[in-house]
Amino acid sequence: MEIQPSFAADSLPSGPRLVAGVVTALCLLLALAGLLLALAPLKSKKKPSSASSNKQPAGSKACGCACTCGPSAPDSDSAPMAVGATYVNGGAGAVEAAAAAAAAVAAAERQSGASMMEQLVPEITTHALSYLDYPSLCRLSMTNSLMRKAANDDNAWKALYHKDFTLEQDGVTPVNGWKAYYAATRAIVNINLEFFNIIRESSLQSMSRLWLNADYVKCVHASGELFSGYNAVIQGWQLAFNWEQGVDFQVRDVRVRVLRDMAWVTMKTFVDMDTGPFNMTNVFEFHNGRWYMVHHHSSMMVMDGDLDQQNIHG
Amino acid sequence: MSSSPPPSSAAASPSCPKKMIALRSSDGETFEIEEAAALQSKTLENMIDEDCAGTPIPLPNVTGKILAKVVEFCSKHAEPGVDDESLRAWDAEFVNVEQATVFDYILAANFLEIPTLLNLTCNVVADMIRGKTPDEIRKFFNIKSIFSPEEEEEVRRENHWAFE
Repeated sequence: MEIQPSFAADSLPSGPRLVAGVVTALCLLLALAGLLLALAPLKSKKKPSSASSNKQPAGSKACGCACTCGPSAPDSDSAPMAVGATYVNGGAGAVEAAAAAAAAVAAAERQSGASMMEQLVPEITTHALSYLDYPSLCRLSMTNSLMRKAANDDNAWKALYHKDFTLEQDGVTPVNGWKAYYAATRAIVNINLEFFNIIRESSLQSMSRLWLNADYVKCVHASGELFSGYNAVIQGWQLAFNWEQGVDFQVRDVRVRVLRDMAWVTMKTFVDMDTGPFNMTNVFEFHNGRWYMVHHHSSMMVMDGDLDQQNIHG
Repeated sequence: MSSSPPPSSAAASPSCPKKMIALRSSDGETFEIEEAAALQSKTLENMIDEDCAGTPIPLPNVTGKILAKVVEFCSKHAEPGVDDESLRAWDAEFVNVEQATVFDYILAANFLEIPTLLNLTCNVVADMIRGKTPDEIRKFFNIKSIFSPEEEEEVRRENHWAFE
């Protein structure tokens, strides 16, 4: 014999009551679905931050309670409250309940989207940033708008400039800000390094590419000889390379001053223990998207006999 | 520790017993910290100068969980005769915690003005950032990327020099 389900035919409501019952059931189902949707992303959100370390104390929140500085409340608190509101407001229809639940999810995402990193009070972020090197600071600025603003902070780059290059130029206000000034300085330091590598390698080809092909470029070697104009300058280097190959030296105290399309660099070059440092000056100009050398001047090599003569003329 | 008369709350006796300072966290827990350790915090230093009666100093910005660790940190750093290397090792262990906890330490150190803890924790955060690509940084700190296409181009222009 057939076993009828407990809600036998006579317990089914008829007509309007049937419709009302179905609507109520639908509302409840949708609200339930909304609640589940709201809670699920919260669970997945906890994973990234706690997955970063091995420790996972039970019930730990993604954001600690001490974050009173930021405008957003800890993310795990806000969403249930928002969803709860749809219940509290009661009479919301099925569609509205679903929409409100979706909005609560979005709100929670936005609030927790201001991650802990971004919630740090500005001065702490600056302090933390002061420990970073320039590539890390740049990469951080590429993460999002908020971090870009923090990581491009003028004072942070000024401090990094003083740390990496020189304490000089403290009173300078670079036109495009300190980050751009740091970048330009880094570019000149690199090209200056390249100049010395070219000398070490005695590569005439590279040297002729480095110099600007112009009649006003000049080069004064440690011998005291002055070469004027591009061709003479390159010939001068050819002589220098022929005369002394594979010299090794140390370059210290590199100081760079960069203006829009001109830069000058001073440095001390040490060849060996006997000769004192050579004081050198290099000048570069920016043309067609790259830097060219336009001037090199080295202090003179002091020969033992010449010392008295130097003093007379000096 | 040498035996000394119990400290009176009215005045420190000449034989210099250890004076304890009471702190109350935002969630109502009370902690005791030696004065020497408390002086690591500039905020507490200012408060101690003014306060004589010994009522617990309320710290509304710090929870009990974090305050307990901060007290531990300050006490360790106020300990005499700890050599640099073991202190550094202890510090490393101290910050070997969840990302969220490190951030809590930073906020507490900033509020309480404890330079040693602030430097330590900021260094930890810097270590977390260093060497990572922007994508990795985003993932690690759960940062959402919201650049417009124009911004993307500006960002590229501002930063390409660093990677050539």
